[in-house]
Amino acid sequence: MYKKLGLDPPDNPPIRLDRTKVRGEFGLQVDELSGQHLFACYQCGNCSSGCPLAQEMDILPSRIIRLAQLGQKEEIIQSKTIWICASCFQCTVRCPKGIDIQAVMDTLRQIALDEGVDHFGPDQIDSKHAAEVPQPGLVGVYRKLST
Amino acid sequence: MAKVAYYPGCALNERSSHLDRSARDATEKLGFELDELESWTCCGAVPPVSKERIMNLIAPSRILKDVRDSGRDMLITICDFCYNTLKRTNFSIRTDDIIRKRVNAFLADDTPTRTYLEEEKSPWQEYEGEVKVVHLMEYLRDELGYAVITEKLKRSLKGLKIAPYYGCVMLRPFDEIQLDNPENPTIMEDFVRALEAEPVKYPYRTECCGSYLSVSSPDASTRLCYRILSSAMKNGADAIVVSCPLCFYNLDSRQKVVLDAYPDFKTIPVFYFTQLLSLALGVGMDRQGFERHYVDVSSALEKIGNSGERDKA
Repeated sequence: MYKKLGLDPPDNPPIRLDRTKVRGEFGLQVDELSGQHLFACYQCGNCSSGCPLAQEMDILPSRIIRLAQLGQKEEIIQSKTIWICASCFQCTVRCPKGIDIQAVMDTLRQIALDEGVDHFGPDQIDSKHAAEVPQPGLVGVYRKLST
Repeated sequence: MAKVAYYPGCALNERSSHLDRSARDATEKLGFELDELESWTCCGAVPPVSKERIMNLIAPSRILKDVRDSGRDMLITICDFCYNTLKRTNFSIRTDDIIRKRVNAFLADDTPTRTYLEEEKSPWQEYEGEVKVVHLMEYLRDELGYAVITEKLKRSLKGLKIAPYYGCVMLRPFDEIQLDNPENPTIMEDFVRALEAEPVKYPYRTECCGSYLSVSSPDASTRLCYRILSSAMKNGADAIVVSCPLCFYNLDSRQKVVLDAYPDFKTIPVFYFTQLLSLALGVGMDRQGFERHYVDVSSALEKIGNSGERDKA
């Protein structure tokens, strides 16, 4: 019956919020490391609509910010989004609240890396490709996506 | 001949040496010399992921301090990644006292002049962001003036429709880079006009080409490149001009993969801005390294050929 009404229950169970998560340790950590203020975000979605890589992401950038506000560390660290972000700063220049979203993404990557979630290692590139890519690409990818 | 300190960076030193060579040829014709630093290291390609990782700022700071110590106040780079990293590092040092102190503590430590520190007249001087980091294109616009280029043209590029591609790190983040309007830039369009070619405006000119995702998620980069390239072609471009080695790699070499993935796709030549500049200033075709391009550039060069050599007495 739910399906018929287009109201089928969500795949993921709803998240449970409490004081320890919202404005909790994780949010403060992100604020401090990135130098941004997460709660400035009012969810306009400009970052997601302008992101050239939004279609490759499982969680849109604006939702990542919302999840970070709500202290959902696990969900963010396990997402593809933080590894797909190419640090192109499109969101940063467009944010009407002046949040450096790219810095937040970088911070989330760093937290994930500190937790031991490595995304890309030297064994994942084939040598022929590695011999052709200009060095900024190689240096950039290892500095951003691995410890 | 006037000399300006020049930081080539790793890509220009090796894998994109044709960008380096065409830049040196062109600037020589324009009456100044790119004076490569006596010693330099990698700048780190990307600024650190957070302010906590101060270590990632040391390499670019050391390069900048060496320039200052040699008595120069301006540093030219061409690679957009180096430009972004050096300029943002400089910005951090200028604006953030804590970063400046921490960086200088490292720099003081790694110089053999450590013993002088205790003496009264110490040659050691804290680096405070005195050096001005400029992109070669910025130098051409602000210091030299595009009018000078037009005056010195030996070969007009009239008839060629060129789509400028800015990419990401040349313009953004705007607060720190301040090169041009990040949403509606004109620096490359004006450059193309200075060569008497016609700039093509297309919606994807400031969109990211995937950058280093070309290594970690090549499929994502392929889709982005297809969007950028086909948008430029739909708007009538004969060629694309870039300034960054990684943009060049993505937009040129990746066309091979784009061709396989999208049957309707047709290739389009990609140039470095310095190649077009040195061609227009009369440097020979054989010095441009066109054999290293994946896409054959002759379709675009034929159009220049038609407009003929330009006689300037």
